[in-house]
Amino acid sequence: MAAGMTQKRSIFLFWVLILVPALFMSGAAYRLLSHEQDRISRSAREALMERAAAISETIHMTVDTVKHNLIQSLMAIDPGMLNPTLLDWEKTNPLVRNVFIFEPKEALLYPEKGMAATPEQQQFIARFDALFSGRMTFDHLERDGGREPPRGMAAGRTAANVRQRDARRQLVTLSRADRSPAARIGAPAQMETLESATSPEQGVTSGWLPWFSENRLHVLVWVQSQATSQVYGLEVELVTLLSRLVVDFPAMEDAGSAIVLTDGSGSVIHQSGQLKISPEIRPLSQVAVSRLLPHWHMAIYMDEDRPGGARGFFYLSLILVGIFMAAILSGGILLTRMTLANMKDARQKTSFVSSVSHELKTPLTSIRMSAELLLSGRVSDEKKKDRYLSVIVSESERLTRLINNVLDFGKLEQGRKQYRLAPVVVDRFLTELIEAHRVRITALGLKILTRIEPGDFRIRTDRDALEQVALNLVDNVLKYAGTGDFIKFVLKRQDRAVLLTICDDGPGIPKALQEKVFDKFFRVDSSLTATQPGSGLGLSISRRILRDLGGDLYLETGKETGCCFTARIIDHDTDNDSGGGR
Amino acid sequence: MADGIQNKARGVVTIAGLLVLGLVLVMVAGMSQAAAASSKVICTVETDRAVLPAGESQDGVLKVTLDAPPVPAGTRRPGVNLALVLDQSGSMNGTKMEQAKAAAVEALNRLGRQDVFSVVVYDTNVHTIVPAQSAGYVDRIIRTIENIQAGGNTALFGGVSQGAAEIRKHLENDFIHRIVLLSDGLANVGPRMPEDLGRLGAALFKENIAVTTVGVGTDYNEDLMARLAQNSDGNTYFVESGVDLPRICAAELGDVLNVVATQVNVTITLPDDVTPVKVIGREGRIMGQRIELFMNQLYGGQEKYALVEVALPAAREGDQLKIAQAEVHYQDPFNNQPEVSRGTSHVSFSHDPVQVKQSANRDVVREYQLNLKALAQEKAIELSDEGRQPEAVMTLKESADKLKQVGRLYEDSKLIKEAEAVADQADQIEEKGMSKKSRKILRTQSYQQKNQQVSQ
Repeated sequence: MAAGMTQKRSIFLFWVLILVPALFMSGAAYRLLSHEQDRISRSAREALMERAAAISETIHMTVDTVKHNLIQSLMAIDPGMLNPTLLDWEKTNPLVRNVFIFEPKEALLYPEKGMAATPEQQQFIARFDALFSGRMTFDHLERDGGREPPRGMAAGRTAANVRQRDARRQLVTLSRADRSPAARIGAPAQMETLESATSPEQGVTSGWLPWFSENRLHVLVWVQSQATSQVYGLEVELVTLLSRLVVDFPAMEDAGSAIVLTDGSGSVIHQSGQLKISPEIRPLSQVAVSRLLPHWHMAIYMDEDRPGGARGFFYLSLILVGIFMAAILSGGILLTRMTLANMKDARQKTSFVSSVSHELKTPLTSIRMSAELLLSGRVSDEKKKDRYLSVIVSESERLTRLINNVLDFGKLEQGRKQYRLAPVVVDRFLTELIEAHRVRITALGLKILTRIEPGDFRIRTDRDALEQVALNLVDNVLKYAGTGDFIKFVLKRQDRAVLLTICDDGPGIPKALQEKVFDKFFRVDSSLTATQPGSGLGLSISRRILRDLGGDLYLETGKETGCCFTARIIDHDTDNDSGGGR
Repeated sequence: MADGIQNKARGVVTIAGLLVLGLVLVMVAGMSQAAAASSKVICTVETDRAVLPAGESQDGVLKVTLDAPPVPAGTRRPGVNLALVLDQSGSMNGTKMEQAKAAAVEALNRLGRQDVFSVVVYDTNVHTIVPAQSAGYVDRIIRTIENIQAGGNTALFGGVSQGAAEIRKHLENDFIHRIVLLSDGLANVGPRMPEDLGRLGAALFKENIAVTTVGVGTDYNEDLMARLAQNSDGNTYFVESGVDLPRICAAELGDVLNVVATQVNVTITLPDDVTPVKVIGREGRIMGQRIELFMNQLYGGQEKYALVEVALPAAREGDQLKIAQAEVHYQDPFNNQPEVSRGTSHVSFSHDPVQVKQSANRDVVREYQLNLKALAQEKAIELSDEGRQPEAVMTLKESADKLKQVGRLYEDSKLIKEAEAVADQADQIEEKGMSKKSRKILRTQSYQQKNQQVSQ
């Protein structure tokens, strides 16, 4: 009892020693990983933002160059050749959507109102009606920062650098709702930004005029010569510009993130990266692309929770830690189980040794007593002498069986048991068995019932093994069901097998233990078994032998009292031998 | 006397000999002229009637026909710069994708070492899987094409833009530039309005890049595809199942490899008293008495035309009027020289109705009616989109009646056949409503008619 307590305590201690450091370790690992993950996510986000900012910058530079070039080209037109040059541009330049010549005091000279050649020109006139009807001047909505002189390359580069810093600063997290495109839907034609510049030495004013009509961006590039006050210019074909811009987007194979160019109404113009974008998903952050393209934004999206996404590292590490913990725990469980099994084994062996010793001792005592009595010469009665001698014989037979069982058990355990197959006539074998043990059985007052069903019982099997099994079963009946009325032998043929059933009407085996009786060293714990010697090996060995021979031994279940063991003995005479017994 | 006679006879022989020589010379000159003319685009201007009723102002129809000569035998055809833009969105999975790949291989097999070939695929993103390179690297390109997998969204705008970028790598060289776009779905990434893609088409046109659009199945946006093709002067096709794709691709390549004129610029000049009313079918620019039309490419042996409605002044019996002069400027891709071809048309006026009727030009009348039918089909689509289906059906039926009436008048079996087809369409729409499929058929037929697309 005290030993059991010590063992339990040591197992408890063992678990404490495993669990506490393991839990501590996993907690620490979790914290560490979360921190590391945050850092990785942050840097991934920052890298993506940098990329978005860089693309925005490229777009701005490109658009700025386009603007610069267009204005320069417009200024360079020979005033005498204005009309044909512009018309030629309209026809051949993909960047030019419409051209116009406008006399502020008078009217639109080209395209003429009401005489517009194509539907496109009619729409153009309608779109910019506020300008061409004189309700707005080309430069009246000037912003403070909008004025900048036409600059050379060096100046441009400096400005670009400044802008790059600006872009970084502008990179703030915005929700889409903040930009309220609805306000612009209400006022369809409204000037948003105006950039214009004056070049004093040439006496020419020029500008890049973003213009919203029907919630879509249009851009007018115009030049006004101060000498004639005539304004001329062109509408930039934004689709072309866009078509050229999107080609330069970097390819992103990352499935968990996306850089998206959106226009003023928030609809996607171009996307780089495989992440699925829907209007419900908010961008992580967005940056205005260029003041030349107002309300166009570069938004970045990231799905951090998707496998392989930014949080992939975290989940992967967590899984690894989990596997590590599981390994430790299962190691602990395995050790505990092995320890418990060892303990059980040790207990069983001890009880085995003691019960076998007891088993050996009982027949030995009988033999010794009988032999001593005979030796003393005081027994003169021949009948008594015979009885003592038969006791010696039967007890030594019992001893032999017991020793055979123990020997067999060893062989079976190691798989070294050899079977010698030979023809056996089972019904004759049974009759002989009953005759041999009739005295033992009748001595207990049991009736012998035999039922041999018609059939051929000549089979090929190991006779000795079969005898051992049958003896074990009979012994069991004699040991535990001696209080009953009968022992019944039933023999019948079933396909390749012969079924030998031995029944009694003793106290039976409790249901819960019916399968356990076949375990080695197991003995039903009751007053009955306590009075009878036994090793707990008989049934275990018998089943093992029969299974080795391809058959089986089982207990018929569902009985209240008494029990029936059936041995299924396989006939090895057929060719399709299942090879059970070697 | 005898001497005199002899002399006379000798003189006659000499004269006859000279005459024969002269004739031979003229014939040779004529033949050489004919040979020269056969390799040029022939521009003819015709009116629906050569004789018009006198004494009343009226409308007339002008047909300016550009008859492209067949590709001259023995000349090296100009190189083709072809970009194939393939939709690899999830909906293409299965047969469509397999057939699209087969079509790509078909196209590649028809090109030669002197041609440039590129393949762009798009889903949510755009990838150039075959950057512009000589079409001679057949094995390598086919291997890449076979590896295309379907999945994702439809970034059509990006795909075409990337295709154009691949074309632009060789824009300076003397190639026939062509993008073939294949899609089965609605563009859902990037600009997706038909107008936007139309404008992209117009911009590409200015760079001499034509976009041919192939719509597969019944889920793509036919307006967008037709507009893109129309504004860049490419072809458009509707393929209900993927099975037809390789055939379509072959037909398209047949056109592209047969280009005999590029950057075609048609200018029609009208005399002062003839007023242009409108251009039928094509997009033209009317500037006072001048009408300008642009076409990207003309295919060998095929005919393209422009129809213009004009208003004519009242004239007296017997008057002759030079009604129009057309001038076609184009680039000959075989020698990269600009070429010009001209045509004029005259009409006379008469009070005799029989003479007027007999002077009718059936060809002009037929094509005019067919183009009106194309416009009616477009109108029907528009009406049906607005939910005015009965009116859409009515429009088609009226068009069918008109075709039948004119067809009977001029005993034109083609018109009568066409009238029956349109009537069938009208019946079908009346019965089952405007299905996706019938809408696509209407849109595609209408465009193919307006563009005189031969390969279908």
